[in-house]
Amino acid sequence: MAEIKTKSKKNFTSYLDSEALNGSEQAILNPKLLSGELEVARARNVLLFSPTSKIKDDNGIAGVLVVTNFKLSFLSFDGSHTSSIYQENIFLGKNDVTLSNIDYIYQMNDRKKRLVAPNIKILSKLDVLHIICKNFRVLKFGFKRSEVGKGKHIAEALAKFAFPNRHNLLFSYNYKENYYNTLRNISMFNKKMDWSHELLRCGATGWRVLSREREDNIPERTLPMHYVIPKTVTEIEYVKLAESFNRSRAAIWVYSLENASLVRMAELIPTITDTKQENKMLELVRKCDPMMRQPCIMELNKCLPSIQEVQASFLKLRELCTPDCTRQFMVQDVRFYTLLDKSCWLFYVSLCLKYSNDAAMKMRGRETVVLQENEGRDMCCVISSLTQILLDPYYRTLNGLQSLIQKDWVSLGHPFSDRLGHVINSDTTEQSPLFLLFLDCVWQLIQQFPEEFEYSETFLTTIWDSTFLPLFDTFQFNSEHDRQYAHKNEHLILRPVWDWGEQFSDKDIVLFTNPLYKKPAEQSRKSMAFLPPTAIPLPGLHQTGSRITMHVTQMATVTNQLPEDRFLEPKTTIRDLELWTQCYFRWQPLLEIKNGGYPQIDLYNRIILSNISKLQQALQSHDFDDLPTPTNESENVINGVGPMPSISSFFPFSGNDTNSNELADILTLSYDLLTDGSIIDGLSLSQIPD
Amino acid sequence: MDKRLSSERVNMDYNSLKQHASSNSVDSDSKSNSINSKLGVETMVPNDTSVTFTYLAGEKCQDVKNECTYICPYSGPSRGILTITNYRLHFRSQPATEKDPIVVVDVPLGVVSRVEKVGGASSRGENSYGIDIFCKDMRNLRFAHKQENHSRRTVFEKLHMYAFPLAYNEKLFAFSYTETFAEDGWCVYEPVAELRRMGVNNDTWRITRINESYGICDSYPAVWAVPKSTSDDLLKQACLFRSRNRLPVLSWIHPKSLATITRCSQPLVGVGGKRSPEDEHYINSIMEANAQSHKLSIMDARPSANAVANKAKGGGYESELTYQNVEIIFLDIHNIHVMRESLRKLKEICFPANDDQKWLSAVESTLWLKHIKCVLAGAVRIVDKIEIMSTSVVVHCSDGWDRTAQLTALAMLLLDPYYRTMKGFEVLIEKEWLSFGHKFQQRIGHGDNHHSDADRSPVFLQFLDCVWQVSKQFPHALEFNEHFLITILDHLYSCRFGTFLCNTERERVQEDLKHKTVSLWSFTNASPEQYRNPLYGGRNQCIETVLKPVASMRHIRLWKGLFCRWNPSMRAQDPVYQRTRELLALQEQLQKQVDEFRYENQSSTRQSARLSSPMH
Repeated sequence: MAEIKTKSKKNFTSYLDSEALNGSEQAILNPKLLSGELEVARARNVLLFSPTSKIKDDNGIAGVLVVTNFKLSFLSFDGSHTSSIYQENIFLGKNDVTLSNIDYIYQMNDRKKRLVAPNIKILSKLDVLHIICKNFRVLKFGFKRSEVGKGKHIAEALAKFAFPNRHNLLFSYNYKENYYNTLRNISMFNKKMDWSHELLRCGATGWRVLSREREDNIPERTLPMHYVIPKTVTEIEYVKLAESFNRSRAAIWVYSLENASLVRMAELIPTITDTKQENKMLELVRKCDPMMRQPCIMELNKCLPSIQEVQASFLKLRELCTPDCTRQFMVQDVRFYTLLDKSCWLFYVSLCLKYSNDAAMKMRGRETVVLQENEGRDMCCVISSLTQILLDPYYRTLNGLQSLIQKDWVSLGHPFSDRLGHVINSDTTEQSPLFLLFLDCVWQLIQQFPEEFEYSETFLTTIWDSTFLPLFDTFQFNSEHDRQYAHKNEHLILRPVWDWGEQFSDKDIVLFTNPLYKKPAEQSRKSMAFLPPTAIPLPGLHQTGSRITMHVTQMATVTNQLPEDRFLEPKTTIRDLELWTQCYFRWQPLLEIKNGGYPQIDLYNRIILSNISKLQQALQSHDFDDLPTPTNESENVINGVGPMPSISSFFPFSGNDTNSNELADILTLSYDLLTDGSIIDGLSLSQIPD
Repeated sequence: MDKRLSSERVNMDYNSLKQHASSNSVDSDSKSNSINSKLGVETMVPNDTSVTFTYLAGEKCQDVKNECTYICPYSGPSRGILTITNYRLHFRSQPATEKDPIVVVDVPLGVVSRVEKVGGASSRGENSYGIDIFCKDMRNLRFAHKQENHSRRTVFEKLHMYAFPLAYNEKLFAFSYTETFAEDGWCVYEPVAELRRMGVNNDTWRITRINESYGICDSYPAVWAVPKSTSDDLLKQACLFRSRNRLPVLSWIHPKSLATITRCSQPLVGVGGKRSPEDEHYINSIMEANAQSHKLSIMDARPSANAVANKAKGGGYESELTYQNVEIIFLDIHNIHVMRESLRKLKEICFPANDDQKWLSAVESTLWLKHIKCVLAGAVRIVDKIEIMSTSVVVHCSDGWDRTAQLTALAMLLLDPYYRTMKGFEVLIEKEWLSFGHKFQQRIGHGDNHHSDADRSPVFLQFLDCVWQVSKQFPHALEFNEHFLITILDHLYSCRFGTFLCNTERERVQEDLKHKTVSLWSFTNASPEQYRNPLYGGRNQCIETVLKPVASMRHIRLWKGLFCRWNPSMRAQDPVYQRTRELLALQEQLQKQVDEFRYENQSSTRQSARLSSPMH
């Protein structure tokens, strides 16, 4: 085996040295350009190194490096015909990253290592570019074999294009591909109807939708056109009162459980010293509850980290997950847990879960909870959405989570552009990955309650990756106002990220579902009322009305063994938490467990589900021809599951080694049911007819 | 919250022992108890019916005390009845109100490491006068007694007598335990059969019974496999150059490449750099028995500094100058004393609890995970040599019964899917740990009261922790689950079974454990279902697959299910397995139905085919 390795290396080197490399072979390697995408720089004979490998090693992959106004693209010769299966984004190749994803670029030569940024001089002799992405990806390119000056050329292009200082320099504005939105089962919360539906679904009676007439009222820019305010006050009075709050963000309703409501509110503007206006506002909130109970106020600034602290924590965590050489990897490894502790990341996750749990418990005790924060659009989003996931099983479904993010994050104005650092200038230095903190908390919940979630960790990780994809507007703006402005005045095409079919093929979308999910036997009143009757299912995510589903629903009505209230009570101490390894470790080949890790559990359960679905279909149709005959019950088949294809712990974010056809088959075959993955779940074992 | 508590209580009323099995008692006991009573084995139940546990066969009540107070580090004091038998200490609270949960503590006395009185005649205040019990399984228990009851003295005496029978020249409970099981666990491991499974005898290795009466090496098994080219005479000479005569013998052989793992103790090189032509010859024969490689790796488990220091005591390591074509690699695993200290620190932070904000740093500061990582990394190096380089490996440390056993057993588990089955794992423990003389008696201190004995060390526990780490990285690779590992550990201390008694095979034969005690495997193999990992895909999917765990701290985790299991607020780590089990059961039921339909269809088509054949 070792011999083969060295052999291939030799071949590879000799191949590199040959003239062919510099000539036509590389000339024909072109990235697929989108409409509006332009190539701005190119270098040939660039070596891509694995994140921790030594730069001097000749173990890089050779290829062409191209910078466009959308992405940094690396095209290798051998990359195109690999047969392994991994998550394939339609817009990005395996070795591509969007410019939005790039956080730090280091330029290096034998003596120096310094940042690449708009105002920093690029080294004339530049050997290596070391790129650290916001999603923890690390890319290392060597230029020793490419033409003189090419490294500098690439670095200059990146310095110019990767750090736009105005929002309308983002690629979103150039991308003019038409889009027809057919999403029906996700509520965008940008229409009055959406909020009215939500009020109805929650049975909230003390509240009503406020629809603003004027769009450009400056202090209200962070608010959507429609949001929900107490019924007990006139619009004029409310707007007047709201002026006393930061960004005019007074009490805004987001959710109700029985008569307890979840309300978000900014703090009073700093120049106001007495709390008269705030008291008035809270009194209005109190009156929304028919029982007139005093609402509980959670001052998030006092109990949770600031956005700066979260950002500092994120950087420490990322440093721990992006070592730049084997030595640093080992040094960090020795003190890994101490360093992880010092990053405070899990501590902040623990705090978010704790306060969300507190809020959920209060609401279950029929208390209205008011989340108060400076502007009410950062930690408020985290705590509010987590609280709702704890209380409402609907938000543990795929459609539910997406609608929740639309409601609490997108519509109510989480400043995604600032927090994700889409635009770099002196006004917008408030980068902080609160959204990742939220996704991490959700991931912790999935770990603790794997049967309660329809979506998988892969879905969460994919959402995080998608925040850096400017083709989709969802995570590109600071507010609905900014989005509509760009849409109307700059003709930016709105394209929600939730239309996953735009980015991925079915085999990838399939992995967004969690095969362990136990779908409630009877959909609760809440989520039933939510889908309009005309709903067109998102491709691959739901197959209502299919034969299997019908069959199951019929059976499911027999008994319902699930508890009526599916409230989650998570453990929130650090010792009960884990590190989200899929999201944070996946770019580090040193940490990849071959044939191991959670994907094994995931795949195994998918296979069982697929078997169950086939058996159910056969029993229904009395057609057993397609089923494997019981005679092949050999030692090879244990639990009715044959050999599994080999996948690694980073699947689907790195490929599998072998049997990719087989794996593809399993994924496509189980596709029917995956979508409804959870079909059986309404069933209890006792329900199966004898 | 209330709901959960009340349902718990209801369950407890039905079966208090079972309900508490997970939190306060040795898990597996409740199961066998019910088997026991079903079998109608006579049990002694005191008149007081509120003491609800089933006696094991051979277990006898020694003392019952009312009005004892158990002081739980998590939920505070509760008053109840304390029972001491020749096997266990049992406490059951008598709640003052309906709402209070019932607290049960059930500890085999073998688990007890130290018993101490707290408070004296002058003690004031409630619960300040009583007994502290320090356990080998990470727990400390405190029972408070009322001074005026004078109950403490007899409890203390009985505890001492039955927890430390060796101090009273009495036998361990395993010799009184008389339960019978369908399968005799003592037959799980048969050395010759196991060697045959690996293809020995073959062209290059042979079985020898030279140590049949333990005359050559008293801490080695009776049956060895050695290079075929070596004569028994050479063995007799060569072994003299190894500490305690523990010369290299076969642990495992690769079915295809015939690369081997052999194990031994350190060579007696000493300060003067002594040599033994016989040992050099013998090591060379091990290399030559593997035609695939012209090298041999000697993995010295110790840190190199320790290996050097051992020369002063007459030991040392092989010199690459005197042993031809040999490379020596130090694996940097520390000695039993370091490990004991590390576990002591771990116990401090896990029981009862620690500052949550600094939890991860606190875990790291115990170095427990670092030691685990070293053992895993060492095993992976052995696997690489065997699998990738097809080079044979000789493993030793100082005596070759602690770190060596960890490394060989773990490497074998990673290399050979057989050891990942439940039976195979039992064989692995019997072979690499028991037959090769890991000194369980000394390392655990069964039944003796020398709690600070420097020979005690959690070496075997560490091995099981490594196995657990492997199971976390490869969730589908092991047939058994975490519960199996914990059950083994519980009975490592409990002294209910004979399996882990004594230090060597020779002693076990002398004591006639096979006939006088019950094997732990009789017990576990009687109810394999509860130890099965539902994700285990069978041998087919990993028959060629060598497991290569990533020995990075980033993947090594604290085994909370073991170390933090007494903390009732810790969540269960693996809720996914339950779900998988449900799905499998559903699949099985459907398959049954399909099979029935098929059967009916088949018989009906056969009939109709015969009737309608002329029409075709």
